[in-house]
Amino acid sequence: MKKRYNTRLSFIILFLTVIILIGSNGPALAHKVIIFAWVEGDTVFTESKFSGGKKAINAPVVIFDKDGKKLLEGKTDNKGEFSFKIPKVTDLKIVLNAAMGHKAEWMIPESEIRETGSIVEKKSAAEPSGPISVGLSKEEVQKIVEDSLDKKLRPIVRMMTESKNTKPSLTEIIGGIGYIFGLMGVALYFKNRSKK
Amino acid sequence: MHISEGVLSAPVLVTGAALAAAGVSVGLKKMDYEKIPQAAVLSAAFFVASLIHVPMGPSSVHLVLNGINGLLLGWVCFPSILIALTLQAILFQFGGITVLGVNTVTMALPGLIGYYLFGRLIKGENRLISLAAAFACGFFSVLLSGILVAGALLSTGESFTTAAKLILLAHLPVMIIEGIITLFCVAFLRKVKPELLGGVYEKAL
Repeated sequence: MKKRYNTRLSFIILFLTVIILIGSNGPALAHKVIIFAWVEGDTVFTESKFSGGKKAINAPVVIFDKDGKKLLEGKTDNKGEFSFKIPKVTDLKIVLNAAMGHKAEWMIPESEIRETGSIVEKKSAAEPSGPISVGLSKEEVQKIVEDSLDKKLRPIVRMMTESKNTKPSLTEIIGGIGYIFGLMGVALYFKNRSKK
Repeated sequence: MHISEGVLSAPVLVTGAALAAAGVSVGLKKMDYEKIPQAAVLSAAFFVASLIHVPMGPSSVHLVLNGINGLLLGWVCFPSILIALTLQAILFQFGGITVLGVNTVTMALPGLIGYYLFGRLIKGENRLISLAAAFACGFFSVLLSGILVAGALLSTGESFTTAAKLILLAHLPVMIIEGIITLFCVAFLRKVKPELLGGVYEKAL
């Protein structure tokens, strides 16, 4: 009798927690800080936030090259953004240090910088190549297309990076609870066996 | 409250892991037949509590529930919290696997201290004292966790006073909410199942 009471109580508590959890299905769920960065021309833009959408304000950002050497550092503004000119063509590791032991990283591979960087170089090389009789040169067209593509794709890039860091899904939550009760079963099983 | 991967230096991680291992082994020894379901329920509560957020200034903080864990489980809160933290690290990417030890200690140790400080008061006859002690236990467990996190961050060069101030200020509402939650849990248990509060305490001693 006593044992049955125990389990009933357990389930009441569990149900209450689940109800509270579902009830609080507000905008801010997970607790994790993320930073993401993208290259536009010769500048790298970064945006930092806590998952759940709050911006990480005034948080120090440090940029390292691929050998772990510090290249530069800065702070996010009040929108959680920070941008800098590419200091050198290499893999860039961008590290965000939000307070209270939260930390996040983002890698920009060298190839990504080289691609966008080369366009800039090409453009500056092409400029003094004299007047062009009709319309736009090939390089200029390319530049315009690249620019507008960058602009148009920016929200999509952002969406993709954000989707990588979504808040925990219901499956994961229920799964976690399932694991805990599974472990309870295992523990009870072994306790029971050793008693015999 | 979770310290992320790659923030702490190796000595701190190793110390944390060693302390956590000690706590967990004591906890496992004290975990008898009756306590296994309780530990599982409280572990599950701890696991989901981290998803309940309290918006606070530029950041947001979540519930910890280490007070009620420690109060009801005593030493067993070490394994209970370790399991919940492991699952949070794997499923939600809160904290991380290498910092599991440190995170377990920063959250379970205050619960244990709360258990020794307030456990006796809670099972007492006087309802008012009992409820006040429950509130205090929930409140101080979070406070102490904040201080321990700040201490762990010392090694990163983040100065203790700034880190502690930041963490404690941010967690002030959580402390109050946790105090209230612990209070209601104890009030409920006193009414429905008082032997859970008293019995647990006697058995573990």
